[in-house]
Amino acid sequence: MNRVVVTGIGVASPVGLTLDKFWAALVEGRSGIRPITIVPTDRLNTRIAAQVDDFDPACFDPKFAHQLDRMSRFAVYAAREAMRDSGIVISEELALETATIIGNGAGGQNTLDDSYLRLYGQSAPRVHPLTVPRLMGNAAGSQVSIDLGLKGPGWTVTSACASAGHAIGQAFHMLRSGQVTMAVTGGTEACLTVGTIKGWEALRVLTADTCRPFSRTRSGIVLGEGAAMFVLERRDDAVKRGARIYAELTGFGMSTDAVDIVAADAGGASRAMTAALRDARLAPGDIDYINAHGTGTPLNDKTETEAIRRTFGADAGRLAVSSSKAVLGHSLGAAGAFEFAATALALQTQTIPPTANFQEPDPDCALDVVPNVARAAPLRHAMSNSFAFGGLNAVLVASRA
Amino acid sequence: MQVSDDVKQVIAKELKLPVERLTDDTNLGDLGAESLDVIEIVFALEEKFDINITVKMGADPATANAANASPGTDLSALTTVGDICRAVQALVDAKASK
Repeated sequence: MNRVVVTGIGVASPVGLTLDKFWAALVEGRSGIRPITIVPTDRLNTRIAAQVDDFDPACFDPKFAHQLDRMSRFAVYAAREAMRDSGIVISEELALETATIIGNGAGGQNTLDDSYLRLYGQSAPRVHPLTVPRLMGNAAGSQVSIDLGLKGPGWTVTSACASAGHAIGQAFHMLRSGQVTMAVTGGTEACLTVGTIKGWEALRVLTADTCRPFSRTRSGIVLGEGAAMFVLERRDDAVKRGARIYAELTGFGMSTDAVDIVAADAGGASRAMTAALRDARLAPGDIDYINAHGTGTPLNDKTETEAIRRTFGADAGRLAVSSSKAVLGHSLGAAGAFEFAATALALQTQTIPPTANFQEPDPDCALDVVPNVARAAPLRHAMSNSFAFGGLNAVLVASRA
Repeated sequence: MQVSDDVKQVIAKELKLPVERLTDDTNLGDLGAESLDVIEIVFALEEKFDINITVKMGADPATANAANASPGTDLSALTTVGDICRAVQALVDAKASK
């Protein structure tokens, strides 16, 4: 079995388009949640989101940009950044052995919304000819492979809020088993359209306050958007070329709740964490930090706490647990990628990013949630949780390089 | 030749070229247009003239008849700027005679 490491990370995030800005905001607990400006809000009750500001499509050739939904622009940008960050110059031989496995929740929602506005709102007789290639669920992943010339296995994973976790886990296992030599993987989502936000409003899970994971005063989700991408390679290859290694990917666990289409189940979440530990050949006592799913809904954070307690037993008391969603919002199919980036950077810098926007402890979330202030700590192994609508759970374990 | 001039303006805008480069004999492929570009030109012309150009990608070129722009007309029938001008003119005339 090959050991697998992370050697490149790229982000298009609500708190910056570089990894330095992204990590600085997470460590400082500086939230990217702001008033929505990228779509009209006059018909929305929701006025806040973590949107990616200052994203300039001029970084693409105009003809290429024209083909890309916002989700694909985020994905291609982040993948380019990850590749550049890794320092790898890809040869034709390596390209043939490189996988492109991208998570995405709901396809090109901006394209869909624009098309429906034309078709139903304005009674236009036709929609744009690139409607289908822009909105198809695999568009972002395919555009990444086209842009970087990656010719190994490629597909898109969709499991709502766990899409990126599943994608990264699949890429990890393919590398570990020797099916591919390298992978570009991660997640992307561009869900801040009037139609999509309306749908979330109707589900009554959005908050007008802000995202406050694990705080007794938490009142719901704030949507976010963006992409985070990774270059994964075999540890031997990375060491041989003297690459900077962020972290080693050591475990991936999955489970399905098979209970409820929206409510998370502690049993399912716990089974995924246990499976990830087993995959990593680690014991609960080996994990020092969990980057939680931590959406900030009253129910999720309580259930996740219960699942962590069930999985870690007595060790739950000494674990540090934080959620990045107070800073990044909930970017659905991209969330697991942003949070795995946070997990890898925590291991690299030996710094635990805090749970921002925290006000007061909740007895239902009795964990050390690292409120508001980052903490330096020796971190050997860390876990990144993604628990999706639909009861699909993906848990990644990473270890200090 | 108002239609023809307007068609050339649309093609020039879509291909980001000066309109002076377009004559009736200009081959779209020689201008670097790929099939998606031709589809976008067709879309822009439909919007501009409020017509339906029923070309298909990948239809049999043997049955193509650009001047009538009949259902099943293949994209490859729209090879030159003149082909497109004639197709649009026919549809504009058909609309006017209704």
